[in-house]
Amino acid sequence: MVSPDQVALNPFWFNECLILTMPTGKTAVNLREMLQTVREVDAAVLSYHLWQSRMAIAQPEVEYPNDFAIWAATSLQDSRLAEKLSVIDPFGFEDMEQVREALAEIMEEYMWNLPSVPWARPGYEFHFCEASTVVLLRPRIVAGSLSEFRSGLANVGIDSIYYHFVDARWRLRKSKTNDFSIWIRDSFGLPKLVAALQGIDVWFYTLEGVRKAIMDLIDQYMEKPL
Amino acid sequence: MTSRLEQLEQIVGAPVIDQLRRMADRLKPLSLAHVNSTRIGGGVAELLNGIIPLWNELGIDTRWEVIEGDQAFFEVTKAMHNALQGFRTIIGKPMLDHYIEVNRRNAERLDFDVDFVVVNDPQPAYLIEFMRKQAKKWIWRCHIDASKPDRHVWRFLREAVKQYDGSIFSMPGFSRNLPHPQYLLYPSIDPLSDKNRELSAQEVSAVMDRLRIKRDKPIILQVSRFDSFKDPVGVIEAFRMVHAHTPCRLVLAGGEATDDPEGPRIFAQVQEAAHGEPDITLLLLHPESHYEVNALQRAADIIVQKSVREGFGLTVTEAMWKGKPVIGGAAGGIVLQLRNFRTGFLVSSPEGCALRIRYLLRHPEVGQRMGKFAKEFVRDYLLVTRNLRDYLALMLLLRGAGDDGKGLPGRTVVL
Repeated sequence: MVSPDQVALNPFWFNECLILTMPTGKTAVNLREMLQTVREVDAAVLSYHLWQSRMAIAQPEVEYPNDFAIWAATSLQDSRLAEKLSVIDPFGFEDMEQVREALAEIMEEYMWNLPSVPWARPGYEFHFCEASTVVLLRPRIVAGSLSEFRSGLANVGIDSIYYHFVDARWRLRKSKTNDFSIWIRDSFGLPKLVAALQGIDVWFYTLEGVRKAIMDLIDQYMEKPL
Repeated sequence: MTSRLEQLEQIVGAPVIDQLRRMADRLKPLSLAHVNSTRIGGGVAELLNGIIPLWNELGIDTRWEVIEGDQAFFEVTKAMHNALQGFRTIIGKPMLDHYIEVNRRNAERLDFDVDFVVVNDPQPAYLIEFMRKQAKKWIWRCHIDASKPDRHVWRFLREAVKQYDGSIFSMPGFSRNLPHPQYLLYPSIDPLSDKNRELSAQEVSAVMDRLRIKRDKPIILQVSRFDSFKDPVGVIEAFRMVHAHTPCRLVLAGGEATDDPEGPRIFAQVQEAAHGEPDITLLLLHPESHYEVNALQRAADIIVQKSVREGFGLTVTEAMWKGKPVIGGAAGGIVLQLRNFRTGFLVSSPEGCALRIRYLLRHPEVGQRMGKFAKEFVRDYLLVTRNLRDYLALMLLLRGAGDDGKGLPGRTVVL
């Protein structure tokens, strides 16, 4: 437990992050084309479809965690493939080439045993995109204590949550952490909270859901006012 | 009187508006010009009417310029529009020369001493040929489904478009092979406009009385032009299948497709299909009947958009914003907006449409839940505030100091 007003050594600035989708013009109408293109495209395209696209547009409930799985389910109407593609957690890999290999392996193995190549219905083609990102540093909200941090979490846009808690897992994949956990560890210790935050399964929450899950955890570790 | 941004703050929340102000502050001083071909009528004019005042409230000096042309010019651009949507069209060289000449004359009249110019659609696309040096950055925004354009027309247009610094499309599938960065900006609706603002129950009732639509049975509504892509005859087929089980009314409201040679034939087919069924109402609305459309959507129990071909499908967005369960044809941007049992239903046939209508009539609580999700989805991604944010991000990006690439994949600008 920590006092809500204990002052941190360094304040936490909530940065903002804006994602602009850039269509690449590449499409896939069947699983063979999907596999081929996954092997060839820039790593940025894979990042977009694995986690960045949720900043562009996302349904209010998460059923499958990435665009490839969603496409398999809705366009190929192949829930078995969608389930297999849902297993991919890019933040557990060292680099995007390994992620690419893992994705391709799932698709190739799946197709190997099929009598024919699954096709998307017209209008359900997969359009490969990548992102341009604008990060605004130190825009507005800063926290010097855990209570200020909690209040900041409630007031920042979901793009801040995305940047510090989801995208950060890619940036900080080697140390398996995120910006929030690092700041709490360095400021207050609280190893259990730090671990619990990293334990939040971001793949199955909307970004609003992620925000709420983080706030709920922090409430458990902050001393209540008498 | 409160500003439009303050009114929007009530709808999207303070963090969203604060962010817009901060982004604008980082860009200032900045001047911007939007160009299109009409101030009223059509989706682009609607979009600009909503967004231009917001730019200025954010302190970005923004002008809206409209190009002038004669009838021959607009005949060429109409043909061009159809050609971009994939219709085989022959536009002769004299017509294309006239199109370029009208752009040149407009270039003499206009003055773009600004930082950014956003040119909307093909009509003013060739302005860049004559005015490139006046503005710092030129962006072409294509609102049309140009996924399978007529080759000759696209080749002609591409000569101008390739000179721009970037282009914007509404769906990933609409983008083209171009030598500059292409961006995806979803279209948006303005929650303060007559078509989307909140209406009181009395206002809705008054419109329904005026249009002579009884509210004694559940109302199923489709708002769209009477053209074959919106499949109004398929909607009537679906309605007849439902009507055999459950009492309900169908309202098909929309404008005549005057620019579509097939328009009158389709409307005759619709009349024929609806003949003898007193529970079907056909409404031919003026293109500016935004308030009436708003009231109809709010009075409806289920809203249908059974398109077989669609651009983004903003009528679906408008219906979702009213918190209604929406059944849409699996085409274009409708697929992106509706997810079965969550934000709506996607269907591929009149039978599928009837199936989902019957389901929703029996389970209104499911319809209410879907409508609630649908409204939140629009609030997060498809309101004018989101469009503004994306534009601001694009300008920050184009103006940014260059690639920094601090661990983030793709092109990243840190400011």
